Amino acid sequence: MTEPTTVAEPIVVEEAETKRGYAGQSVPRKEDKRLVQGEGVFFDDVKRHNMGYVHFVRSPYAHAKLRSVDVSKALEHPGVLGTLTGDEVALLTDPFFQISSPPGAHLRDFCLAVGKARFVGEPVAAVVATTRETARDASELVEVDYEPLPALTDAREALADDAPLLHDEAGTNLTWEGVYEWGDLDAAFAEADRVVKISELHFDRFNSTPLECNGALVEFNRGTGQWTIITNNQFPGFAAIMMGPAMRVGLDKLRFVTQDIGGGFGNKITSHPQLVACCLLARKLNRPVQWTEWRTDFHLSMSHGNERWFQDTEVAVKEDGTLLGFRTTALDDAGAWLRYEPLGGVIWAQVTPGMYRWRHIRLDFKQVTTNKAPVSPNRGYSRMQHLWFTERVIDIVAQELGLDPVEVRKRNYIRAEDMPYETPNGCVYDSGDYAKMLDLALELVGHGGLEEKRADAESRGKLLGVGIGSTLDSGTNNFGQSRLINPELQFSGNNEVATVKLDIFGEIVVTLGTTPQGQSHETTAAQVVADILGCSVDDVNVRAGHDSYWNSHAGFSGTYASQFAVTGLGAVKGATDMLAVEMKKLASVVLGCTPDDIELAEGFARMRENHEAALPFMALGAIINANNAGLPEDLDVTLNCRYVYRPPFQPPDVERKFGNLTLTYAAQVHVAVVEVDPETGVYEIVDYAAVDDCGKRINPQVVEGQVMGATAQAIGAATHETFTYDEDGNLLTPNFYDYHVPHALDMPPLKTGNIESPSPFTSMGTKGMGEGGGAGIHAVCAALQDALRPRGNPIVYDSSNPYHRVWELLSDPESSRQRVTVESR
Amino acid sequence: MLLSEVGYARPATLEQALGVLADYPGARALAGGQTLINVMKARAAAPDVLVDLAGIPALKGIELGPDGTLELGPMITYTELIGSAEARARPILGEVCAQIADVQVRNKGTIGGNVCSSDPTNHLPPLLVALGAVFTVTGATGERAVPAEEFFLGVYMTAAGPGELLTKITVPAGRSDGFASVPIGVDGTCIVNAAATVNGGVRVALGCVAATPVVVEAPSTDPAAVRAAVREAALEPPSDVHASTDYRRHLAEVVAARAVEQAERGA
Amino acid sequence: MAEIPVVTAETVTVDVNGTTYEREVEARRLLIHFLRDDLDLTGSHVGCDTGNCGACSVIVDGILVKSCMLLAVQVDGAKIETVEALAEEEQLSPLQQAFSDHHALQCGYCTPGMLMSATALLRENPRPNDEEIARAIQGNICRCTGYWNIFKAVKAASGQEVAE
Repeated sequence: MTEPTTVAEPIVVEEAETKRGYAGQSVPRKEDKRLVQGEGVFFDDVKRHNMGYVHFVRSPYAHAKLRSVDVSKALEHPGVLGTLTGDEVALLTDPFFQISSPPGAHLRDFCLAVGKARFVGEPVAAVVATTRETARDASELVEVDYEPLPALTDAREALADDAPLLHDEAGTNLTWEGVYEWGDLDAAFAEADRVVKISELHFDRFNSTPLECNGALVEFNRGTGQWTIITNNQFPGFAAIMMGPAMRVGLDKLRFVTQDIGGGFGNKITSHPQLVACCLLARKLNRPVQWTEWRTDFHLSMSHGNERWFQDTEVAVKEDGTLLGFRTTALDDAGAWLRYEPLGGVIWAQVTPGMYRWRHIRLDFKQVTTNKAPVSPNRGYSRMQHLWFTERVIDIVAQELGLDPVEVRKRNYIRAEDMPYETPNGCVYDSGDYAKMLDLALELVGHGGLEEKRADAESRGKLLGVGIGSTLDSGTNNFGQSRLINPELQFSGNNEVATVKLDIFGEIVVTLGTTPQGQSHETTAAQVVADILGCSVDDVNVRAGHDSYWNSHAGFSGTYASQFAVTGLGAVKGATDMLAVEMKKLASVVLGCTPDDIELAEGFARMRENHEAALPFMALGAIINANNAGLPEDLDVTLNCRYVYRPPFQPPDVERKFGNLTLTYAAQVHVAVVEVDPETGVYEIVDYAAVDDCGKRINPQVVEGQVMGATAQAIGAATHETFTYDEDGNLLTPNFYDYHVPHALDMPPLKTGNIESPSPFTSMGTKGMGEGGGAGIHAVCAALQDALRPRGNPIVYDSSNPYHRVWELLSDPESSRQRVTVESR
Repeated sequence: MLLSEVGYARPATLEQALGVLADYPGARALAGGQTLINVMKARAAAPDVLVDLAGIPALKGIELGPDGTLELGPMITYTELIGSAEARARPILGEVCAQIADVQVRNKGTIGGNVCSSDPTNHLPPLLVALGAVFTVTGATGERAVPAEEFFLGVYMTAAGPGELLTKITVPAGRSDGFASVPIGVDGTCIVNAAATVNGGVRVALGCVAATPVVVEAPSTDPAAVRAAVREAALEPPSDVHASTDYRRHLAEVVAARAVEQAERGA
Repeated sequence: MAEIPVVTAETVTVDVNGTTYEREVEARRLLIHFLRDDLDLTGSHVGCDTGNCGACSVIVDGILVKSCMLLAVQVDGAKIETVEALAEEEQLSPLQQAFSDHHALQCGYCTPGMLMSATALLRENPRPNDEEIARAIQGNICRCTGYWNIFKAVKAASGQEVAE
């Protein structure tokens, strides 16, 4: 088998460069003071004089021709200010840019349905009125003549001859396909002792349901032609790129303003259609327009996570459990529109082998459109699905070969000494020690006493199971991977921006290009700045939120994809380093020495050898801003520094689908212990351990908070959270009544642990983290499979295991087992 | 999320409330609002007038008679019932109310609202049917007593018809009661539930399996006998995202047996 | 038969956090929208449309309720407490401080409702155990924290020791 070849050069961080300071401390959050007083500013808190409230008329059909949309009665309703229909939109805007190559490239996606509705909840018209209630009332007066069409609700039927066709312009429901193959599959399968075949696994559809839904308040400035979009979109860089060309305006005409955002988790990236509708209405009606997405709207229409079927999987494995490779077909159900897709078709490849050393892999990725809500990023985007798949494979292989899942993992895990490790497709895992994390997690749940726990559970009539979920959180994307989707695309690399200035009275002010939704950016940025400038975190003022007017942003700015600790903090460090250099330069001129003689400490720029010769920050700020006569002409100091962080990426090799797609790889290993009631299929998580490694932790409490949140969401996804449709395309879980998320009493006891494997590729050894990679789903699935072994060895084949599925596995284990065959060679 | 236009009346007496209900055929009584307001948010129902019962003292109050009979005002909240010393005469009442949703809902939601909404997944309809409660229904022409088993007519339909109000729930004396359920998550919506009482005979009322509670009498408290009795009821439960018909049918047997087991322990 | 008025709108008078407000309001207006849109008290939030999430939780006449399931007209004459009442002159209450100390909030959207539920709990039960705390906030959904730090914060605010 071939060994990995070239690996990127790691950055060497000198011991002397790392100062003891705020990095590594759980500094209290700057965000908290306003948030605990209810003084956060979320978009719906903002009011503008004369603003109109939007209500979207939404299709009740999963698939229907729109024969006509008549708003005349709505317009007559008192209090109604105006409307917008698909016909208008088709004239005023161009279809949204499609990331996909053909046939997906041919989709004509507008901000309202044009000609056809393709999912229940798709906006078909918009009504604006003086109050929220009036807009809602008037929407009932909009008359839409629908001609229902058959609905396609199962991706596995999307390619049948008689399958309903969603997009005539594409001519097929298979809007994107990519075949990925690396290594030597034939040799691997020839060398295998056994081939484990799994006919079908299913990663279900759900998302993170942030408590605050999407929304915006949009104002149009007629004089300048600029819109101000006060919103909670978490990736304004992407929204702008989508909206500008569609609206036929330059990007500078779109000013995005965010402050506090009530959770994002990826689900606030693709609100651009509704934002365009609001922009058009604000311009048309010459007044600010406000849109609040209600919970049901969100569930029906926004950002479902990728639903993926893994079909015809074959795994080549040695007798001792060494995994050689696999092939599979990943059938991805994208819903009705490709709004960020088909990027999911390549993003999984950041973690192609999961955490394992197999080298021979083939994955045929087929993405199809169906009459369901459009899919777009959800926490763990596309990697989580793939990592769930690899973890299921490990557990199924272990079970079928009669091996211990702990041993199989340890045998196959990429080892600490292999790091940095180049995967079969050229991604580089920077650092990590997965086996050590697994040991730690097992210890935390008392794995040694497992058999006693099992016996005790049995005495109470319960089946106890233990399961491992190991996962990666790849962070800082190389957007060049989009070329593997569509070679015509002109995206690559990544960036983030920060500015840091020292103001006239010595205030340090930081602006970020990010749009945090709870990730504590103000606090961690201040920690980094304070350490470099030698001042207190309290002296660092980080502006809350994002405003593209500040010009502290670049093409990829936003908060998504587990990257802030690298890109955002990288930008902050870069800008602050620049500022520090300038401060030292200026101080050296004033104090009559060289910049190397100057240190920044305790709020002063002072001579290292003589602390008496010191200038407070205020002095430096005052000189440059208000008292600069007499300074050397060539003194290149502004004390207002802007830095664009750019990770070291190359464009990937499109032919071989090879290259580094993400800069850092945080990891998590979870262990879940469940007790199943065999009489009912009801189960409880009775113990749980989560071990994480995200490299250097700037603020441990913040990191742990993210790990806990990801754990809770994964538990929800594993148990009750699913977006389930009936065969007519009606969503059966359109609100929190039926879509049950974990509440306080549902939480298991949680034990946490961590190790720190600094990344050699980032300026501070940090790795992006936050998404988590769904370890909880993998662990709960594994625990259930372990618990049910005495009852016929059923195979857990779905990521979502509500009670009825567990019951199905208990009452008919054979059906699930038919998915798996083992061939000996 | 946003209600249609609605009228609002704030009666201070039962007569005033009945008067408004008589004048406005599309009027609905507003009890705790924990169901009705949500129904109106979804615009699944749009009454033209809401008659707020909160200001009518006659509809609150708990009285424990010397024979152990409990008379409960329908506007008692779950929290008030849980905290009531009198209601502890029949402890299962408070135990079950404590499983409903959460603190906020229990603080406003009423026992009368729970029964009058007649949602098949509610807790109190099967419980009160099992206990053999009697509902007093009052209208313009006077009041009548309706046994619980006859009160529930269908989904969101009860014997309290247009122009009528539930004005009292009478619970007979007894203590050997049980309740078992399979909720979605702790204290979540019930997938299936069952209430049982073993005060002479074994009486089980099943919820979630039909539009209204289904009564099953078992020959003994033996779990196998209880389950057999449930099977003989030939249930055809609904199928939904949480449970298929078969699964629900199976769960009904299990919770029936568990409710009886609990009742027996209390006997 | 005594006739009483049936109104589609009326003037309500409420005491919110010690200030009296008098406003004309439609009968159909939910209390949460009255607080946020009519009184500009935007600390309480909307997170769902079925009364499940608790982001709108406030205290009305001493009772913890979800203000999305109350009409503004129902609270005429009532005394309402919202998150804006907890701090005194910018000095955080021990409960608010405990939330910050224990990282019991990330995005902060559920936090006002959580604080009101915790406030109601501690008034009734000054030294709650872990299960009582969980029951008290069972009606408040959080998607960021997983609740574990919230349990710690409420326990700490009650003066009890917290396992770190």
